[in-house]
Amino acid sequence: MSSIKIAFSKFNLRDSFGAWWENATKKQRIAFRVLLIGFFYALPFLDNPILGTPETNFQSVLFYPLAVYVAMAVGLNIVVGKSGILDLGYVAFFAIGAYTHAILGTFYGVSLWFNIILGAAFAMIAGVILGLPALRLRGDYLAIITLGFGEIVRIVALNLEITGGAAGIAGIPAPPNIFNVTFDVLDPKPHYWLMLTFIMLVVWMYIRLGKRRPGRAWEAIREDEDVAEFMGVETTKYKLWAFILGGAIGGGAGAIYSSQVASILPDYFTLNVSILVLACVVFGGMGNIWGVVAGAILLEYLPEKLRFLSETRILFFGLLMVVMMNIRPDGLFPRKKREKVYDKVTGQEISR
Amino acid sequence: MTKLLEVNNLTMEFGGVVALKEVNLHVSAGEIAALIGPNGAGKTTVFNVVTGYYQPTKGDVLLNSKSVLGLKSNKIARLGLARTFQNIRLFGDMTALENVMTGSDSRNKVGLVGSIIGTSRSRQEESLSHSRAAELLNFMGISHRSGQLARNLPYGDQRRLEIARALALEPKVLLLDEPAAGFNPQEKVELGELIKKIRDAGFAVLLIEHDMSLVMKISDRVSVLDFGQKIAEGTPSEIQNNQKVIDAYLGVVDNAS
Amino acid sequence: MDFSILWTEFFGLTLDGIVVGAIYALVSLGYTLVYGVLRLINFAHSEIFMIGTFTSLGLSIVFGFTGLEEPLGIVLFLLVFLVMALASGIVSGMSAVLLEFVAYRRLRRRGASRLSSLISAIGASFFLVEFYRLTTESKDWDFPRMLSKDPIFSISSAYFTLDKIIILLGAFGLMFGLDRIINKTRLGRGIRAVSQDEKTAILMGVNVDRVISFTFLVGGVLAGFASTFYMLFYESTKFNVGFLLGISAFTAAVLGGIGNIRGALVGSFVLGLIQQYSSVVLGYNWRDVVTFVILVFVLLFKPTGLFGEALQRARV
Ligand SMILES: Nc1ncnc2c1ncn2[C@@H]1O[C@H](COP(=O)(O)OP(=O)(O)OP(=O)(O)O)[C@@H](O)[C@H]1O
Ligand SMILES: [Mg+2]
Repeated sequence: MSSIKIAFSKFNLRDSFGAWWENATKKQRIAFRVLLIGFFYALPFLDNPILGTPETNFQSVLFYPLAVYVAMAVGLNIVVGKSGILDLGYVAFFAIGAYTHAILGTFYGVSLWFNIILGAAFAMIAGVILGLPALRLRGDYLAIITLGFGEIVRIVALNLEITGGAAGIAGIPAPPNIFNVTFDVLDPKPHYWLMLTFIMLVVWMYIRLGKRRPGRAWEAIREDEDVAEFMGVETTKYKLWAFILGGAIGGGAGAIYSSQVASILPDYFTLNVSILVLACVVFGGMGNIWGVVAGAILLEYLPEKLRFLSETRILFFGLLMVVMMNIRPDGLFPRKKREKVYDKVTGQEISR
Repeated sequence: MTKLLEVNNLTMEFGGVVALKEVNLHVSAGEIAALIGPNGAGKTTVFNVVTGYYQPTKGDVLLNSKSVLGLKSNKIARLGLARTFQNIRLFGDMTALENVMTGSDSRNKVGLVGSIIGTSRSRQEESLSHSRAAELLNFMGISHRSGQLARNLPYGDQRRLEIARALALEPKVLLLDEPAAGFNPQEKVELGELIKKIRDAGFAVLLIEHDMSLVMKISDRVSVLDFGQKIAEGTPSEIQNNQKVIDAYLGVVDNAS
Repeated sequence: MDFSILWTEFFGLTLDGIVVGAIYALVSLGYTLVYGVLRLINFAHSEIFMIGTFTSLGLSIVFGFTGLEEPLGIVLFLLVFLVMALASGIVSGMSAVLLEFVAYRRLRRRGASRLSSLISAIGASFFLVEFYRLTTESKDWDFPRMLSKDPIFSISSAYFTLDKIIILLGAFGLMFGLDRIINKTRLGRGIRAVSQDEKTAILMGVNVDRVISFTFLVGGVLAGFASTFYMLFYESTKFNVGFLLGISAFTAAVLGGIGNIRGALVGSFVLGLIQQYSSVVLGYNWRDVVTFVILVFVLLFKPTGLFGEALQRARV
């Protein structure tokens, strides 16, 4: 048992792939990227007994939960993984985006293309209103406040008229065709492709930010907020940016989601969603974008594939979070490279 | 000489504990000022107050003759006070280079949007941060650690990395809190030389240190704290012959070692 | 908004507010005690309470109560109730100890970040909720009425029923007991020592592991008793009963000043009253929003709460 545990805590896919990537030529890297992206766009056509899901339509599984959760996990990763801000109310941003499109699209005829942006914008505004005061607080207080925020948004949606109360909003419009691709409820492919594009945009943005000044500021804040301050990092500003950028991604994803499902109700936006997204981030490896993507895919796909997991997924996810934090806090794909370690006192290299 | 950092009548109380009482200190351009005193004398508390971590009960802190009281720590840091920590506090999961770059970032202007778009300024500043950080690692003699995670570095290199990170802010005054703690005599000598080089490069230094021979060798001026009060100030030789200091401090060290 | 009900029902609402506050108090003590020794919010504490409610419920089923029989006499009832409360206290207390062992201990030893500990606790919390959801089939479970709820006497609109009286007396008894434990026993003094200064406590020879286990035990036992009182008062439970109750109790702890025992008690009664009054003024649907808003405002504007000592910044 303990040797299994050691093997599990030592195994590192990132390093083996990382080694290949370091040595790859430019052409190889481009080829790899193209293949990967092509694979994801082609996924809806790869519904076969090996990949397919037994209970549910594979193509709709690709959209929800897979793509939706990957998008949210990527967004939450900026907040929790990169900056170390524990946000337990992430679903609120998703809900704000979803209701933005549901209300503006259904009652005012605003197209999804605007509503993705508006949903993100409203989520950002909510993020500023909540974050500006709340981000001053210590981590565990912040966790509770965000948790409360998530619930408040749901309760408000439950009690307002414009949101349709408990019955929610139905008949949410899909966007008009582009290139003969029809967006509708029956065919989830176009929405999947849309979400995939959204995800790629977000990942691209994240990578740019991550390896530049904001990325360093976020990591410094995660590592030691006081020291970051002493080193001239405007911690409040960067924490707020992380919070609202994460929120904007949740909002955009929410708008696309509501367009695909065509009807939403407050029950879709419970605390469970926040926790499932958190589990994806934790499982994949906080702060490592590829780990988070892979983690979200695995965690959302497996319950659809394996029947015994679908009913009990939250049970397993909860357990998973405890186990991961106990024996592998860096997640399945840690963000950092394995490397030489030195004895703190003697300066001798320690072999691991 | 111009006084870069001035501490006037500083009093700091924690609940009932008076950690600092009416302390006056200053650091002038081009000097290495030392702050010594027995354990618990209040040395680190001085650093914590001047860098804006604690609000003093009374008194004022001037940087370039302007009060920095009430400013946020990050603002004070960018105005010219950078520090190291008695118990090393690096960004453990970042590489040595990234640690230092985080420091040099404080001199940059580019914001979030610029970083996403990748404006020419953002690219310029990135490469500037990068080269400056690499230079500083080289200066501290740890350029071979550049790509390693800070928490995996050997102890001595962690201390050196802290200094490099603080220097990256290009501070007016560099605050060093026991930088030689845990060093062997040879390393202490080297560190002393390095601190002198830092001063000669144009950074004033305020040094907290327990090792008397190091302090006496490199400091231009020494202030002594005891139970939160300044009991003496002067050149190293004056301090060495000051009876009050010998009573309060040197005796303690002799007993301990 | 309708203030007229507030006036006509004022005494009744006040009584209920105090009763609910007493239940919150017992739960919020668990948050505050654990916060004292770990400097962490125990996210899974609400589930410790939830486990207690199902323990009481389970015993009522084992005893064969259906809720249709004649109410018990007071002596017999007290006997049955005491058994239930003790069992819930023991089960919740043991669960809390186990929780600390599984979700916190290793992380604490490793010196893991606060973030890791929080995530671990949240994971444990969700595991427990989901486990109970699956095993109790997501149903509302009714607790049989074993005691007549006819009022004994009344003051204006405040109807004093036996259950309310028992809860108030029981809760005050437990608080008194806790006070004795914290101040008079060795482990209790250990809790205080670790809360004040862990490093010094270790130097003084305090076994921190044991003190922390003991803290979880005490907090868990109190939550267990609280759960039986809750069942007596509300007569129903569900797998997610801990969520809102936990938030309320936590809010109460923060309101009083987290880490401060007296504060937790006062905060609980204040919150209980505010909830009762506001739910008739704004409508019951907004009760939980009111709680959150209070929590947010306290944390933002007076994070030390009503009685908290100024939280020192960590030393650098
Ligand atoms: N945050 C705080 N809360 C309460 N007391 C504090 C705090 N910070 C410092 N003190 C007290 O102030 C006094 C001075 O502490 P300080 O750390 O400044 O001493 P020092 O001179 O740096 O000692 P050393 O040589 O051991 O580092 C000590 O008595 C310490 O206990
Ligand atoms: Mg010190």
